[in-house]
Amino acid sequence: AAAFERRVLRRAAEHHYLRVRLELPDGGARPNAAQFKQLVVTALRELHGEVGAALPVDVLTYEEKTLSAILRVISSGFVKLWSALTLLGFYQNRRCAFRVLQTSPFLLALSGNSRELVL
Amino acid sequence: MVRFKNRYVLCEVISEDSRCRQCIEDRALGLAVRDAIARVHGDYGLACCSISFTVKYLNAYTGTVLLRCRKDSYRLLCSALPFVRSLESRAQRYSCFLNTLHVGGTIRTCQKFLIQYNRTQLLRLLQNCTNEEERQCVQKSLLSCSLTEEQSQSGDEEEED
Repeated sequence: AAAFERRVLRRAAEHHYLRVRLELPDGGARPNAAQFKQLVVTALRELHGEVGAALPVDVLTYEEKTLSAILRVISSGFVKLWSALTLLGFYQNRRCAFRVLQTSPFLLALSGNSRELVL
Repeated sequence: MVRFKNRYVLCEVISEDSRCRQCIEDRALGLAVRDAIARVHGDYGLACCSISFTVKYLNAYTGTVLLRCRKDSYRLLCSALPFVRSLESRAQRYSCFLNTLHVGGTIRTCQKFLIQYNRTQLLRLLQNCTNEEERQCVQKSLLSCSLTEEQSQSGDEEEED
């Protein structure tokens, strides 16, 4: 029988993926993909300055109807991104809030969500 | 048991304007540095570095500045210093930049470094002297700062005899 070997890699993934949803309680014009990315970068710039705004953040998918998106960020900037999204309060002088639904170092893990399972 | 540790950053203000050095004030410099930190590191960086931030020492003749901050955030401060491009005092804006000379844990180590640095700067000034009276001045100040060592050496020789 082959010897059992277990390998644990800590902090080996270089990117972290987040599924987020933007909540705009007033029914106004919805941002398109470019404006959404501008909003994320603005949030980073407010909380973490030019260094935060220069973080490599990508919007992988964006749905304008539900205002939900999948973001990818380099692992060293994960805490900065999440804290900036949490503390963002306004989009074009309208109240807004970011809800982070799922995060994972693997993109595949964002495809299933056990919270929305219908049993 | 556990104490708050500070870092003291020794910098030099360098400007092409000759009036800039005479007009720098500690409050204007502190505001300029905090403004640069806010631009580079945002609200979080500004709040982090402002916990124990002061301008501890300022010498307007040589342009030497000593800043203090917490040990946890001195890297944020040092990385934001190159972004200080101008100083504003008495409604005049002078363009300048800060040269970081030394980062120390106490004011005493920074003072020891500054004394050493000023000695080497005096030697360099002596080489770049243009006219005779400047040369005399610099030579006098050089001798005055190194005279004590010569006296102790001559004292030792007399004792050996």
